[in-house]
Amino acid sequence: MISVKNLSHSYSNDDKLAVKNISFEIEKGETFGFLGPSGAGKSTTQGVLTGLLKQQDGEVIVAGYDVKKVQNERFNKIGVSFEQSNVYSKLTAKENLDYYAKLFDVPTRDSVELLRLVGLDGKENDMAGEFSKGMKHRLTFARSMLNNPEIWFLDEPTTGLDPAIAATIKDIIKEHAAEGVTSFLTTHNMYIADELCDRVAFIIDGVIKLIDTPKNLKLQYGQKLIDIEYTDNGKIVKETLKTVTEADRRRIGEIVNNHDIQTMHSKEATLEEIFIQVTGRELV
Amino acid sequence: MKLLSSYFKEMRIAARGFYFYIELIMAVILLVILLVAVNEESVSKQKEFLYYDMPPAVEDYIIQKEVEKGALKLIEPTEFKMKAVEFEVENRETDELTSYEFEKEIYNLVTYEEWDPDTGKLIKTAYIAETEEQMIRLAFQERKIGATIVIDDSGERAFRYYNQGYETERLVNLLYILHNKLPEVVEASVDNQNVRKLGEVQTLNNRENLVPVMVVFMGSLMGFFIVVAYIFLDKTEGVIRAFAVTPSSVWKYLLSKTMIIITTVLISSSIIAIPVLRGQPNYPLFYLLLIISTFSFAALGLFISSFYDTISKAFGVLYFFMIAMMVPAFSYFIPSFDPLWLRYFPTYPLLQSMKEIIMVSTDAVYVLKTSGIFLAGGLLLFILANYRFKKTLTV
Repeated sequence: MISVKNLSHSYSNDDKLAVKNISFEIEKGETFGFLGPSGAGKSTTQGVLTGLLKQQDGEVIVAGYDVKKVQNERFNKIGVSFEQSNVYSKLTAKENLDYYAKLFDVPTRDSVELLRLVGLDGKENDMAGEFSKGMKHRLTFARSMLNNPEIWFLDEPTTGLDPAIAATIKDIIKEHAAEGVTSFLTTHNMYIADELCDRVAFIIDGVIKLIDTPKNLKLQYGQKLIDIEYTDNGKIVKETLKTVTEADRRRIGEIVNNHDIQTMHSKEATLEEIFIQVTGRELV
Repeated sequence: MKLLSSYFKEMRIAARGFYFYIELIMAVILLVILLVAVNEESVSKQKEFLYYDMPPAVEDYIIQKEVEKGALKLIEPTEFKMKAVEFEVENRETDELTSYEFEKEIYNLVTYEEWDPDTGKLIKTAYIAETEEQMIRLAFQERKIGATIVIDDSGERAFRYYNQGYETERLVNLLYILHNKLPEVVEASVDNQNVRKLGEVQTLNNRENLVPVMVVFMGSLMGFFIVVAYIFLDKTEGVIRAFAVTPSSVWKYLLSKTMIIITTVLISSSIIAIPVLRGQPNYPLFYLLLIISTFSFAALGLFISSFYDTISKAFGVLYFFMIAMMVPAFSYFIPSFDPLWLRYFPTYPLLQSMKEIIMVSTDAVYVLKTSGIFLAGGLLLFILANYRFKKTLTV
């Protein structure tokens, strides 16, 4: 559904590249996570893919359309949920969705149903300008589903949302994935990527460092760890030990045999830890 | 359909915002000013202070003759509260200075009104001072011309004027000719002048004459500014980015903005024009020119706004254009100031065309030619703006 070959982009039209010669392919129905810290090139890549930024170098095919050629009808197959909420503050929630619905050439979803889906039921006739940041974000997210997109661009879809609403949004994304919608998810939140994505790409300084499934990444880079809390001479001591090294395994045995164990948990390496391990940079 | 949806959406937003109402409220304010503060015809209510330096019997005889002719009418005496004041008067011919010093007091002056026998309108009010000093003091305090009327050696009336000092040389010379030359000389000179009309000249009254200026400047220039404000409002809210990922074309977005401006201008211009002009103008031409000129100025606004990402950055250029477009108003109100270069300003033919439309004998060819030029220019600017916006809509 998405094919990117040797894509580069410069905002200043010179050799200062925000994205450097990146290539990747996304299959139909796949949820692809594009992960990296701020300024890594995530939004630039999404900008070119959605047509918001002019394609300079490389080859980009989205939903069968060459992005370099101006073909407005390709937007009938695309939905974009922006990180920054961008809705008409002087229109109601329903008016916002109804207006954008009329701009598409394909059947669109009912605005009231979409508002209900994102937890804005009862707010249909409220002015978007009176909405909280989270509500505006949900309205922006709802708008991206208007045209039943085949390809869905999601830029930080749960940022700024409370956990309950974030869970709802994640469920909606999962439902769409189950229905065969291809999603391009841009985020710096590794937990969301881990939960939602079939594959992830780590991008830093405009370069893709690796692309793989979260499971493979954990198998390849992750180490199983055990967190142990125990008492030693009346004091509580905490240690994190690896289950794969001989010394740590012996240390676990010693603690279990000689101390009073308070808590003991096994854990996997997170995508964030793997990202730091691979790129040497934190996700800030 | 997408264009109409965008138009109705823009109309809804405009009706909920304040720019729309600013223009309508401005139109109502201007209409009230036109109807209340601007007289249809110029009214010259001149005041003059006179002192007759002659025996009372002669003074009475002269005034009585004027009253009998129906030129003057005696009314109730007028009270003047005089302030304490000191000033000097310079004689133009001898440069001699005379100082005056007065205390506070109240004058009750004999007052006459002079009415135009043809129109029945008040021309001037004359106050008759009892002494020359009194007349000079009144002229000084009231900032009006004062005059002493004397009988000269030949038995004719002669005038000694007391001006404020800022009068033009032209007015001073006129006063010399009017009263200090022999009246028969002036009369003979006037009789020898052969004045022929070059055609039936139709003039507009003061109110009608102001309508083209208000319609052009408030309509087109406000429209020009407001379309830019709408664009930057959308840029600030980020909704342009959301529009850019729909299958709708950029030109539809731009045209919907322009259509809102045209709607607003049509309403505000009608608010001003219809009550003042009633059935006089050629309304089809009036609205045709209004729509085309507003479209052109809105296209100019769109083109300019495509170069900037915030209104504060664009403000200098917008301000320059708005001021420049107002310059032809000088020529409109001062017809003697009509340099060739001024005719190249777009608002110059626009003002003249609007004036033509208001005239009963409208030069339709001139108006249509102006409309055609504006339409061509507007389309070109719109195409350029569309091209620029395609490249910069999301920047």
